[in-house]
Amino acid sequence: MTDTTAQENSAARIAEPSLPAADPKDPYAMPALMPSSADRAVRSFDVSDHTVPTRKQEDFRYTPVERIAEFFEPFDASGATEVSVEPLSGDDLPDGVEISAVDKGDAPMGTVGLPADRIEAVEWNAVDDALLVRLHGDVSTPVLVSVHGVDDRLDALHLIIAADEGAHAAVVIDHTGTARLDECVEIIAGKNSRLSVTSLQQWDAGSKHVGGHRITVGEGAELRHNVVTLGGDIVRLRIDQDFAGPQAKSDMLGIYFVEPGQHLEHRTMIVHNQPQCTSRVIYKGALSGKGAHSAWVGNALILPDAPGTDSYELNRNLLLTRGAIADSEPNLEIENGNIVGAGHASSVGRFDDEQLFYLQSRGIPENVARRLVVHGFFSELVEQIGLPQIASALMASLDARLEGNAEAIKAADLKLVSQTEGESYADDPDAAAHGTESANEQSRQTEEN
Amino acid sequence: MSTLQIIDLRASVETKEGRKQILNGVNLTIESGQTHAIMGPNGSGKSTLAYTLAGHPKYQVDGGQVLIDGENLLEMTADERAKAGLFLAMQYPVEVPGVSMTNFLRTAVTAVQGEAPSIRTWTKELSEAMKRLRMDPKFAQRSVNDGFSGGEKKRAEVLQLELLKPKFAILDETDSGLDVDALRIVSEGVNRAKENTGLGIMMVTHYTRILKYIKPDVVHVFAHGQVVETGGPDLADRLEEEGYDKYLPEGASESALA
Repeated sequence: MTDTTAQENSAARIAEPSLPAADPKDPYAMPALMPSSADRAVRSFDVSDHTVPTRKQEDFRYTPVERIAEFFEPFDASGATEVSVEPLSGDDLPDGVEISAVDKGDAPMGTVGLPADRIEAVEWNAVDDALLVRLHGDVSTPVLVSVHGVDDRLDALHLIIAADEGAHAAVVIDHTGTARLDECVEIIAGKNSRLSVTSLQQWDAGSKHVGGHRITVGEGAELRHNVVTLGGDIVRLRIDQDFAGPQAKSDMLGIYFVEPGQHLEHRTMIVHNQPQCTSRVIYKGALSGKGAHSAWVGNALILPDAPGTDSYELNRNLLLTRGAIADSEPNLEIENGNIVGAGHASSVGRFDDEQLFYLQSRGIPENVARRLVVHGFFSELVEQIGLPQIASALMASLDARLEGNAEAIKAADLKLVSQTEGESYADDPDAAAHGTESANEQSRQTEEN
Repeated sequence: MSTLQIIDLRASVETKEGRKQILNGVNLTIESGQTHAIMGPNGSGKSTLAYTLAGHPKYQVDGGQVLIDGENLLEMTADERAKAGLFLAMQYPVEVPGVSMTNFLRTAVTAVQGEAPSIRTWTKELSEAMKRLRMDPKFAQRSVNDGFSGGEKKRAEVLQLELLKPKFAILDETDSGLDVDALRIVSEGVNRAKENTGLGIMMVTHYTRILKYIKPDVVHVFAHGQVVETGGPDLADRLEEEGYDKYLPEGASESALA
């Protein structure tokens, strides 16, 4: 169906002369008579079905499209990006983890939704296969998928994380190095599974990362989805999620720290298409320096067939200096009145001088005071990630950015990766010497510096 | 023994109508162990004096000197002033979400003392100080002033006063918003700090009721950004009876009774 006929159809529906009467006992039960955004949105694997993004399009109004134009036309993927899978701690992958390659066209590749924009369609066009991480049973240790970029040639990558029925597992995807990557992560949380997926973006300067996550959460399942974006010139991630059965729960959490010249954009699109599901989206970001730009767009669409929906989305931005810009836009589309809740909140605030003065008047030096306030801003969220292995290292990474010391940033980021090797990641300088390739790579770079 | 000297202090603030002079040459000397009450009508510049001494960036110093034992506070940042021994208990303590009281207090004490207190003595000192101020131990885990009631905020200020052990404390309207019991507990804390460390106190207040709990040695009347009269505790009694009328422009009237 083309756009024109869709519009004609909806126009016809609205013009319907006899509107169905609402049941006075249940006035909200009737489906809305407005065309929903889902009816209009293009979903297709075919690049040519998607228009070339411009800033005039709603989905790209905050995006500096000219800086990611290379991802708008089909390209040959370099295939150079290094991907490895290992346990977050210990030597062997725990029981219940299966790693395999899936050819394009074979399930489950391409089964979770369809590309929602041209960038995602270009990714689909560029890849031949996907890396599948299949999880079943109780997986004792989080699984680390390291994605390491080695150069700035265009590349595409397709990952699938599939938790079987009743599985309980955590997966961390860690992006490091230099890359220009168009990536898709398909996430399937099977019936009654409990799945945690964390995506860390710690790219080196000059990197670009676009694409998105397509997620489905099964009946009675609980998904925790964490996104931490700290590095990369441009990171633009679109996260589309819907439900495959009732009484499921989706918790999405995002943390970003934007520095001069960076554009970090996150778009969460939750579609409530099943009864009695819960969704929470909480993204927080700090911005520092001229030209630091973040964009967060949170969409929640509650369809007529999703009674009992409980949804909430929140975005808070802390501008640490002048010259930084945060765009924040929550959208709610509710087509069912019989819901538990649908809320949103969004704010962009300047660093509070009164807080700074209060702390300073107690003898705390300005730089420490700033760090305390930013800690306070992020701490609750960092704890909620639910991975103690990541939490303290992440705080150190944020601290280092706050201090603005390039070497400290590098060292702290290294720790965030390297601490994945062992239980203890305290102050062990050798921690980086064994383990992931990416850790080795980074430690070399640190030494050169 | 320490001395806080304020010499011909002048300060102004930026307003929509332009720069406004608020302090017009303040002169005041406080010795360790002394309690000075600064009393005055609303808008006389009492709070401006308190914040200017503490180094709030909103107020611009246009002249004068403030010395603690000869060291010029006005050349220091707010945190350096705290390290030099000055403490401001604020009328409206600022909320800092996400920063726990324990973390905040320990960071502050470490900064002021120049080294971190040992965990054991610190934990003991903190819990005892909180107990004396009738503060629930759970308080330490809450975010700084976040969601505190008016009384809780003032107790938290006095807790900091007791832990940071400054040479001089400025209490800005510490009695405001307190019921009788809370006023007594908070006042006891201030008196305790004075007894233990020989603290010098500059108590900024509009009303006389706190003076029943924290006895002043010297009472100053503050008006038009200046000290206009100085006397003993009996001056406060007179203000209670007569109000601030004689210090106000013709026609205005204000009481010193809470």
